[in-house]
Amino acid sequence: MNSDCKFLDQAPRFLFFTGKGGVGKTSIACASALELADAGKQVLLVSTDPASNVGQVFGIDIGNQITAIPAVSGLAALEIDPQAAAQAYRDRIVGPVRGVLPDSIVKGIEEQLSGACTTEIAAFDEFTALLVNSDLTAGYDHIVFDTAPTGHTIRLLQLPGAWSGFLEQGKGDASCLGPLAGLEKQRSQYKAALDALADPQRSRLILVARAQASTLREVARTHEELNTIGLSQQYLVVNGILPESETAQDPLASAIYQREQNALTDIPAAVSGLPTDCIELKPFNLVGLMALRQLLSKSTPLSTSDNEVIPAIPAANLSTLVDEIAADGHGLVMLMGKGGVGKTTLAAALAVELARRGLPVHLTTSDPAANLTDTLNGALPELAVSKIDPHAETERYRQHVLSTKGAKLDEQGRALLEEDLRSPCTEEIAVFQAFSRIIREAGKKFVVMDTAPTGHTLLLLDATGAYHREVARQMGDSKQHFTTPMMQLQNPHQTKVLIVTLAETTPVLEAAHLQNDLRRAGIEPWAWVINNSVAATTVHSALLRQRAANELPEIAEVADRHAQRYALVPLLREEPTGVERLLALAGGQSPSPLVPTDHKGEG
Amino acid sequence: MTSIQIFDPALCCSTGVCGVEVDQQLVGFAADVDWAKQNGADIERFNLAQTPLAFAENPVVKAFLERSGADALPLILVDGEVALAGRYPNRTELARWAAISVAEQPSPSGCCSGSSCC
Repeated sequence: MNSDCKFLDQAPRFLFFTGKGGVGKTSIACASALELADAGKQVLLVSTDPASNVGQVFGIDIGNQITAIPAVSGLAALEIDPQAAAQAYRDRIVGPVRGVLPDSIVKGIEEQLSGACTTEIAAFDEFTALLVNSDLTAGYDHIVFDTAPTGHTIRLLQLPGAWSGFLEQGKGDASCLGPLAGLEKQRSQYKAALDALADPQRSRLILVARAQASTLREVARTHEELNTIGLSQQYLVVNGILPESETAQDPLASAIYQREQNALTDIPAAVSGLPTDCIELKPFNLVGLMALRQLLSKSTPLSTSDNEVIPAIPAANLSTLVDEIAADGHGLVMLMGKGGVGKTTLAAALAVELARRGLPVHLTTSDPAANLTDTLNGALPELAVSKIDPHAETERYRQHVLSTKGAKLDEQGRALLEEDLRSPCTEEIAVFQAFSRIIREAGKKFVVMDTAPTGHTLLLLDATGAYHREVARQMGDSKQHFTTPMMQLQNPHQTKVLIVTLAETTPVLEAAHLQNDLRRAGIEPWAWVINNSVAATTVHSALLRQRAANELPEIAEVADRHAQRYALVPLLREEPTGVERLLALAGGQSPSPLVPTDHKGEG
Repeated sequence: MTSIQIFDPALCCSTGVCGVEVDQQLVGFAADVDWAKQNGADIERFNLAQTPLAFAENPVVKAFLERSGADALPLILVDGEVALAGRYPNRTELARWAAISVAEQPSPSGCCSGSSCC
């Protein structure tokens, strides 16, 4: 081995890399597979990254079948497209009834099967075959996955109820198993796959994170969740750490370095004991064998392209968006996006900027780590802040349902209801219910929310709304006025949805998926916000300038292909907490380093 | 044995806990089905979102869907014939179809299982 990475030391047969989009799972998986192959092993690399660039990395087309990599002896690769897998899965269920049942009904069924669970389960279905002994994989010493099933998927497959009669008899009376209904593999195969996952002799799970407090917290949650369900062999990789050598004469780089080092020092206790590797930020794109072979090694050759001029980016800042939002005088502003992209901070910045203009604002957050209530409450006369704790809300919702709707059930009926209330939808609904109490205020003031249900959940919620309207109609109760949450969200005069992302490939792609999801639900996102952009700052460090250059095509992608309007928010030296810094983030008050124009002549 | 088939609308969960408000009728009915099965009834539930083929392959159900649409579900067949449509049966009705004796069993799921009295 030419690297000293702990996670590759005495590697078992299966290696799984897990972490949120954009942390570099695929690059590290590629580099690991390459290193194992270079050490003389037979290796199969499996990618389920929706933005899979494994083919690009190795310079050949791979696709949905095992393909040998000609340039590397002993290495083969396979790309699984989760969206395509989900589509194939929907086709299996819906295909036979298309043209047989009325079109509107077929469309409704497809929508039910369009949730994130379906995609995840369908992808797992695809790689189950690779985890069990078969001729397909017999020749490989190692199988490296750039993804791992989530705790939710594993629990779903472990549910005893999932198997009792469901797959064997094909009878649909197990509840909350929509995504499982169309699975074609046998129970024994799933069981073997789950056993392989939980066996430390065979499987190693590598958590990939960045040196950011929020990402590390998320990784700690993943660790605990997967640990409780038996995946005990876990390693941690912190990727993309800014080396100290970059901090000379660059205040932003120094601040980032300091922030990252602090995050590493304060690493959550749950993961601090794991065998950990740190990988430094590299100045080059991770494409090609040369680059990959250097990813896991310590010494980095200096980039030669530091003198490239970063072109200016003409983009709005948050304050420009606030101008338009403020014009309506009231309304609901929802920030949507994956965890860790900065929804809470941006929601706070928008709320503070609206309040500064003398508009009444209610900011509400569901981030358990946000202490906005303490920092902001009372700080501005027009600003009210409330906090929703997802766990507490979910528990309260469960108890509420059990004690009202379940009050008259016998013990068995109650147990059945309790099991259904453990469904993944429950938290999303519980949190949304808590929010919907606040949403009503949006008729008079501004309500800014840092979280929102997915398009799929909204459609489920609306199905119920439609049902209630129907019941009311049948009962001749015409006086009652029904406005479902969905109707409010679809109305652009009442609601503005802002999609938050980072200027990196996978996060932009994930945000585009979210946008499609919302469009299916009849909601047109009003704007995109690209957060933590290095390209929107002035930097001298060669590494950061390379990162800024890498952002440009992603920003262009958002501007040209996805967003009606967008704002670019620069990476800041300090965490934007407190009113002053949040106002600066919005860009309305202090002059912001919005457009990097002064790069010429640097070296 | 009498066969009871329930053709549900497209549901995420058969107890309806995934809706914006949990549907009391679905909660009660799920418990009633469970109870009837414990008492030996032969009941199958088909969710339109999960097993649409079961709807398409049954001529009675297919004709019902074509005539009345998915909004008119649920549809309940007893031994293949339409027994009820548009609402869920209550425990008494299930018991009658399945020939379960309910003399000493005053519907523990309450007044509203399947009916619209509350």
